[in-house]
Amino acid sequence: MDDRSKPVPIGSMVPLTGPSAADGAEFRNGMILACEELNARGGLFGRPFQPIFADTCRQTAKEVVTAARWLIEKHQVHAIINGYNIGAQNSEYEPIADAGIIYVHANTLLQHHDTVMSDPQRYFGCFMADPAEYWYGPGFIKFLSWLRDTGQWIPKSDRIAIISGSTPYSIVIANAMANSAASFGWKVCFGPKIVQTPTSQWRDVIEEVRASDPAVLANTHFYAGDLAYFQRQFVENPIDCLVYLQYGAVHRTFTDIAQEASVGVIVSSIVGLLRDEMGKRFEERYTARFGSGSTASIGCQSYSNMHHYAVAAAMAGGSGAPGNFEQNRKVAFALRGMIYRTVHGTIRYHPDWQAVVPYPVVTRDPSLGMPHIFYQIQDLKERLSMIAPEPYNTERFVYPPWMSKGAPRRL
Amino acid sequence: MRDASDRHSVNDARLAAIWAGLDATDDGIFVWSAERVLVFINEGFRRNWDLPVCAGMNYEEYASLIAHSQEWMIPGGPDERLQNTLNNFGVATDADYECASGHIVHVRQRPSAQGGMVVTFTDVTAIKRNERELREAKEAAEAMDEAKSRFLRAANHDLRQPLASLKILIYSCVREQDDEKRAEMLHAMGVATSIMEDLLGALLQIGQLDAGRVQPRITSFQLSELFERLHIQFNHQASEKGLRLRFVAPSKTVATDRALLERILSNFVGNAIRFTELGGVLVGCRKEGHGLRINVIDTGRGIRQEDFGRIFEEFYRVTDNNQIQKKGLGLGLNIAKRLADLLELPIGLRSEVGSGSTFSVWVPLGNIWHSNISAEVDISETVAGEFAGIPMLLIEDDDFLRESMTQLLRRWGIDVHAAANEDEALELVADGEIVPRMIIADYNLEVRTGPDVIAAIRAATGEETPAIIVTADAEPRVIAGIREAGIPVLIKPVSPPRLRVMMHNLLFEPDLLKSADI
Repeated sequence: MDDRSKPVPIGSMVPLTGPSAADGAEFRNGMILACEELNARGGLFGRPFQPIFADTCRQTAKEVVTAARWLIEKHQVHAIINGYNIGAQNSEYEPIADAGIIYVHANTLLQHHDTVMSDPQRYFGCFMADPAEYWYGPGFIKFLSWLRDTGQWIPKSDRIAIISGSTPYSIVIANAMANSAASFGWKVCFGPKIVQTPTSQWRDVIEEVRASDPAVLANTHFYAGDLAYFQRQFVENPIDCLVYLQYGAVHRTFTDIAQEASVGVIVSSIVGLLRDEMGKRFEERYTARFGSGSTASIGCQSYSNMHHYAVAAAMAGGSGAPGNFEQNRKVAFALRGMIYRTVHGTIRYHPDWQAVVPYPVVTRDPSLGMPHIFYQIQDLKERLSMIAPEPYNTERFVYPPWMSKGAPRRL
Repeated sequence: MRDASDRHSVNDARLAAIWAGLDATDDGIFVWSAERVLVFINEGFRRNWDLPVCAGMNYEEYASLIAHSQEWMIPGGPDERLQNTLNNFGVATDADYECASGHIVHVRQRPSAQGGMVVTFTDVTAIKRNERELREAKEAAEAMDEAKSRFLRAANHDLRQPLASLKILIYSCVREQDDEKRAEMLHAMGVATSIMEDLLGALLQIGQLDAGRVQPRITSFQLSELFERLHIQFNHQASEKGLRLRFVAPSKTVATDRALLERILSNFVGNAIRFTELGGVLVGCRKEGHGLRINVIDTGRGIRQEDFGRIFEEFYRVTDNNQIQKKGLGLGLNIAKRLADLLELPIGLRSEVGSGSTFSVWVPLGNIWHSNISAEVDISETVAGEFAGIPMLLIEDDDFLRESMTQLLRRWGIDVHAAANEDEALELVADGEIVPRMIIADYNLEVRTGPDVIAAIRAATGEETPAIIVTADAEPRVIAGIREAGIPVLIKPVSPPRLRVMMHNLLFEPDLLKSADI
């Protein structure tokens, strides 16, 4: 085959088995759809993109590093592009930096900032295409305060209880919530209490929380199934408070298990498919390609990352195989400099962090940041209600069925 | 009749040279005949001004064109402009006009001997800009000079008294033998110094305001943090006077300059404490329109109605018969007022003699989504990383490695306590002040091994503290020996991600420890 029509191998490390397999399947779908669309338009200067998937199973450091090495050594991938892999703690950056290829992921980890800034020359190709998990904390506190200050919700007190899972992701979010609470007039009355996860047993910790009588209960663990059990056990004898569950509750698995108990729950994602024309059209294409059981709002992550990479590689004049540092530095330069509006908001890399900047918690300009979207499960038969932030919200907050309702007031 | 376009018909070489010379100048030139007909326009006019005039045009046509032109900003309505232009034919005039393009043109009109006139058009934009800049610079320099003079007058006026006291106190203190009296004098010296410090600070602020150096930066923020800072700043002062100082922080976002609002409020609170002898000071908010009114309420002596206007003036002091207390400087409220004016925040005052006063400032509500989490937007793992604040004991006998490892761990937010050997490590945990949640130890530590030192620390603290051994000795027998002791091991040079994974698993997910061994 002529070199000019030879496929460009693109690696993707996705958890196709294990607790995040549901997300992994969507990340795979997103890559497939993006490559199909790109190839239909001629690929990269006539070369088709060829996605190669490596299963990261439980996403431990060992599994993710093995996947990265397999993709680089066996398949000579020019880039690794995927959704998230929690647990590798950036171990995979080492073989990737040694090979000098591009790595775009949605690991949502604060430590990405530290690793990249510790040696920007070495980690030039490592990009985090979503904001660090840290931003979930202050973003959530601002959201609560917005509900309170606009009179949509009258909290019975200023008390917040925080439960964390045992992954670094959950712990960082819980710490960040606790750190920013006081600035907005909230008091942490419980936690952050770290619970060993995965688990489906939450009754003990719920009882501990009950004793602190909070106005808000936040659980920063993120496995959809575990959170569904949490919510079922919570509504057995609910506390009169708002319930916020971390990212996993956006997944269909959550509502499938929690059923009626899920109505009223608030959940957020710093990577969420928008409901504008662009988002809707993508959702239609995605559902048409992968069926009504697929979740476009998760598949959009790897989809956007792949498209963004393809544009950057084209701007740079081509992609680079392992060892072609010079070409890949050009691709990295294009990725860093480009403000790329995609189906879930804007990918704009912070020049030092090489991570996406979130809106509205860091930038006030929606065109320069990826929106931190807040949803509420209001009707099991309908999609999640997008209740914040402006200007993306399409619905309003409603009181969860287990809560006593103060008279809503407006300022 | 000459226009620049028909120059080629001129045979007279000298005349041609004159036309060419007139065309070369950048100034525009018109020559009007006594019959009020435009007989000459030079190329300079065509190059620089976009007006549809041509040779042969009569003056009435030209006057109408000028009067209705949107290109030149000439005062008065079109009719008035037309009449003025017509009346001015043949009259010597000089005037500057601004063009729509932003240029300034000087138009000079002079009568000719034959009853006509010459009009020249000169672009003076650069000259005028320089003149304006010079004028502004001069005004700024004069304002600065005035500010400096005021500063010196005020310094002379207000620094003299505490300086004189200080001089006497120092003189007396040197000779004083009685410890108690010496202590009293030192206290008085402290008071005099703090008065001077306050005064210089206030004068500096006034100076900055006078020089126009204070530039507001409007942001959205929560008042609660600002109130907390004020509480810390003034609590001691209020307690010393036996006053209650209370802040009721609202859970609202406001939009203004955070630092300048703090200076306004700190002047209000400082003033309230200074002029209150009994009771206390309360700082709270009330919603008013689309904003908050921040009230500083005291139970002090109050202010007479007739003083309300003057109280915000520079160096104004309410007549004060109480000589015991530290005098006000008469600058605080002036600063507060001027800062509030700069921020366009209305200030309020309610007061009754004998009952107390309420100073207030109104601030607009801000958008909570736009408010900063704290003054510093940048984040790092030291703020909220998973290891933030976790105390750790590091035992490494190599100075360079100990230092570099300490730096790495601190970047992750860990509270590192480093020791070179067993003795130093035991000393660190001896009094119980440091209770490490993790130990990282080198394997070869002078006379002891890492596992021995870990055992000694665990024995000293009575805790089975999780630990990691790092070693440059990759001998399988050594590694196996460490693992047999139930301690995970990392080979030097330690990979930061591996260390991080191992630390995380030891602290939070011990079940995953085996799979972390990559």
